[in-house]
Amino acid sequence: MNVIIVGAGNLGSSLARKLSDLGHRITIIEKDPKSVSLLPRGRVDSGVMTVIHRDGSTGAAMIEAGIANADVFIAATGKDSLNGLAAQRAKTIFQVDEVMTAVKDEGAKILYDSLGITTINKASLAGDQLVKLLTEEK
Amino acid sequence: MYLVIVGGGVVGAPLASSLINEGHEVFVLDRDPYTVASLQRELGMIATVGEATSVRALQEAGASRAGAIIATTDSDEDNLAACQLARSNFDIPQTIAIAHSPENAELFDIAGVDLVVSATDLVLSNLATALPAHPLIRLMPIADRSQELVAIKLPAAGTVIGRTLSELTLPYGTKIILMVTAEGQSKTPEANTRVEAEDQIVALSPANSTSELWELLTELR
Repeated sequence: MNVIIVGAGNLGSSLARKLSDLGHRITIIEKDPKSVSLLPRGRVDSGVMTVIHRDGSTGAAMIEAGIANADVFIAATGKDSLNGLAAQRAKTIFQVDEVMTAVKDEGAKILYDSLGITTINKASLAGDQLVKLLTEEK
Repeated sequence: MYLVIVGGGVVGAPLASSLINEGHEVFVLDRDPYTVASLQRELGMIATVGEATSVRALQEAGASRAGAIIATTDSDEDNLAACQLARSNFDIPQTIAIAHSPENAELFDIAGVDLVVSATDLVLSNLATALPAHPLIRLMPIADRSQELVAIKLPAAGTVIGRTLSELTLPYGTKIILMVTAEGQSKTPEANTRVEAEDQIVALSPANSTSELWELLTELR
């Protein structure tokens, strides 16, 4: 599957690595060129994993990341509201099938549930659950 | 009405002050302690430090009894989240937000924000209509800002010059109040009044039709 991940922090990087292990094509959008140290360097250098340095909440960045052909979009920056906005753009404007957003504030879950956006709570071992979910879907 | 304003900065602070003057009860949420302290000095205990996007902070700001939330921070994502969280968690009746980028304005709209103020559109429309040649002058807002009294000067090479008022298809709800010639003579606008070069037209227009009216009256041949 084609997976776009916004944010290359702890969560974004670990998701990228795990999903890449499973053979999915990963594109990461990370604004800060310095914040990619957690990504598997070899895969980035060899082009197996694509990294785009832009603001991942913008339509332009999503288009550059190939959102038209994306099966999964995951907003995984450290900022809940930015994740929410990016996820909603991916869902409503670009109509990506599976959209997920990382949230720290439990109160935001009701909102994203109602929008059909899956919430990921870092504290709940999201990575493993996600990988399971994605493998099952395949 | 009780109103929660998110962001007490360059927009939020004067907005709070003017809403208080109009008799509303206002509460401002801002993450910056200095901003909050300055609001409290000027307006009293109507502000507190908190994250706009935290459900708990919204609750403490009284979102559950507020008639509306107005999100005015300089972060589009925070403005959207504040409005949506206030709606989903506190069922707030009206949500209003500033969107700085045009694509976010569109997204806010789709996302159900009741009133989206597009900062870019506002600036652009003001710049476009304020060009010296044929300006649109906003004289005053009327009836809750749903209508505006505007003045527009007609270009000599405009497509409307030489036509009578009855021949113009004005935007719905627009009413021409007065016409002033280049020499400063007033003309009473009637169906057979002819539009002449450099006339100035004073009209009452629905606020969302002023640009359309300006375009119609200043369109060049």
